[in-house]
Amino acid sequence: MLKIDGLISGYGSVQILNGANMKVDAQSIVALLGGNGTGKSTILKACSGLIRSWSGSINFDGEDIHNNPPHKIVERGLVQVTQGKDVFPAMSVIENLRLGGFVLNSKQKLEDNLEKVFDYFPRLNERKNQLAATLSGGELQMLCIGRGLMSNPKMIMLDEPSAALAPQIVLDIFKNINRIRKDGLTVLVVEQNVRMALLLADYGYVIKDGVIKVEGESKKLMYDDTVKDSYLGGGGTTANV
Amino acid sequence: MFKTFKFTRKVENTLMLIFTAIFLIYISLSPDMSIDSLKGVLVIGVTVGIIYGLVAVGISLIYTGLDVVNFSHGEFFMIGAFTGLTVYNFLVDGELIYAIFPEAYGVVGYVIGLFFAFVLMGLFGVLIERIFLRPLTKKGGGYTVAGMGIIICGFGLSVILQNVAYIIWNPTAHPFHADLGLPINIAGITLPMTYLWMLVTGFVVAGALYFFLNKTKMGLGVRAVAFSKDISNLVGINVPLYISIIFGIACALAGIAGTLVGPTYQVVVYMGYIILLKAFASAVVGGFGSLPGAIVGGFTVGLFETACSFFISGSHKDAYAFLLMVVVLLIKPTGFFGVQVKMKA
Repeated sequence: MLKIDGLISGYGSVQILNGANMKVDAQSIVALLGGNGTGKSTILKACSGLIRSWSGSINFDGEDIHNNPPHKIVERGLVQVTQGKDVFPAMSVIENLRLGGFVLNSKQKLEDNLEKVFDYFPRLNERKNQLAATLSGGELQMLCIGRGLMSNPKMIMLDEPSAALAPQIVLDIFKNINRIRKDGLTVLVVEQNVRMALLLADYGYVIKDGVIKVEGESKKLMYDDTVKDSYLGGGGTTANV
Repeated sequence: MFKTFKFTRKVENTLMLIFTAIFLIYISLSPDMSIDSLKGVLVIGVTVGIIYGLVAVGISLIYTGLDVVNFSHGEFFMIGAFTGLTVYNFLVDGELIYAIFPEAYGVVGYVIGLFFAFVLMGLFGVLIERIFLRPLTKKGGGYTVAGMGIIICGFGLSVILQNVAYIIWNPTAHPFHADLGLPINIAGITLPMTYLWMLVTGFVVAGALYFFLNKTKMGLGVRAVAFSKDISNLVGINVPLYISIIFGIACALAGIAGTLVGPTYQVVVYMGYIILLKAFASAVVGGFGSLPGAIVGGFTVGLFETACSFFISGSHKDAYAFLLMVVVLLIKPTGFFGVQVKMKA
């Protein structure tokens, strides 16, 4: 579905990605793991066109989307859900969701997708006329994912969906991510919560210093020494949590 | 002890009320005070206010959408007035309009003038934004980073547009004799038709803008882009296109305001800068970046200015708007509808 080859990119003149290679198969959940500042979010931003990629190629669904404008990429069916619960706080929940379906041309499709999103997250239906600013952290994350689903994407990229949420809510959201995949979407999850992400995903990549260091089936990764050492604790290294 | 004193919203509002009370008492002690003069001041104040409001909404729109203050906005107002005047004169000089509308040729010509001022200024604004402002953002970082360059470019554009208007229409003051009919009498006040047109058209345009922003898909997109370009990109909004739309709407509003003001004064090349400053004052009073605030600020400045120049002294007319702005900035720096800091990621 998504194939990244030798991607080099960064912000301004600071190079973050040093030739990353990745592949996400259709209808799978792939986890992209790594510590702070290793380039996880940068990969997503380059894929969704928010930043320019300097070299390398990004192929989505058989087409080259390298440096396409962001709205074209959304139209093609690749949607990024940013970290930090970026919503429009001064708009109601339903307006936020309608914005998610901005690229849809027919009203009927918009209503259908609203229905679908409310089916995934009934909480949003209860709060649809509330301002987004009044939602809790978990509800904001649901709103972000729901907004991403509104445009009928083929693939959705989630940037740290579990960040700063209570374990119970994380579980709920991860269950829904699994359900989204079962309904035929491809999911790429960027996570710092490595254990949870590997439980959810089929395949995992570990990124460090802008290149993919380790990759493999998530069950294998869970017992991989490098990953264990750097993320799961127990290796006795000083690497992050 | 003074340091621990908190300047809360409550204190701000109380101080604003005290200021308003002092002002009202002061003008009510004026020898010119009467019910009729008060009525007149109210009507003229609201009429002037809606014009300030329309221009201020444009400034606020550009500020929210592009993160910069457009200092050439007054020139769009001026060129809008000239466009309306030129279209009106062209129509009235011809034979056709008398043949089709023998009775209401003035009104029809004026409406067409308003329409052309609106549409042409909108297109002109898009053109200016694409040619002069967009290239400044090419270095990366978008409008937020290119801000200072764009502000300076705005000042330059202001000078250039004035000089272009100078070449096209020459520096003399052009009278705008819109033949709109005889003054009418409403509730004891004799109101020239030009003022009535300002009032009605102003409210219609403001209402249409409200409808556009809140009820249409494009308006939703405009509001989204005004809040955050990054999230707008991610939901699939064509952000560069919407920035052009925002600039175009703002300039179209300035253009129609220019044609509305034209018949009451004169149309002259230098009329842009004072309206820019007063609209800026209105936007600050209402809360910078807030669209309802801009309209309310326009009314406030219009009423304050009219009341002061009628009851206190007419010779300092242009100073009152800024007096009010300074007072509001001192007492309530966020303005009526403003927020302290615009939340940005």
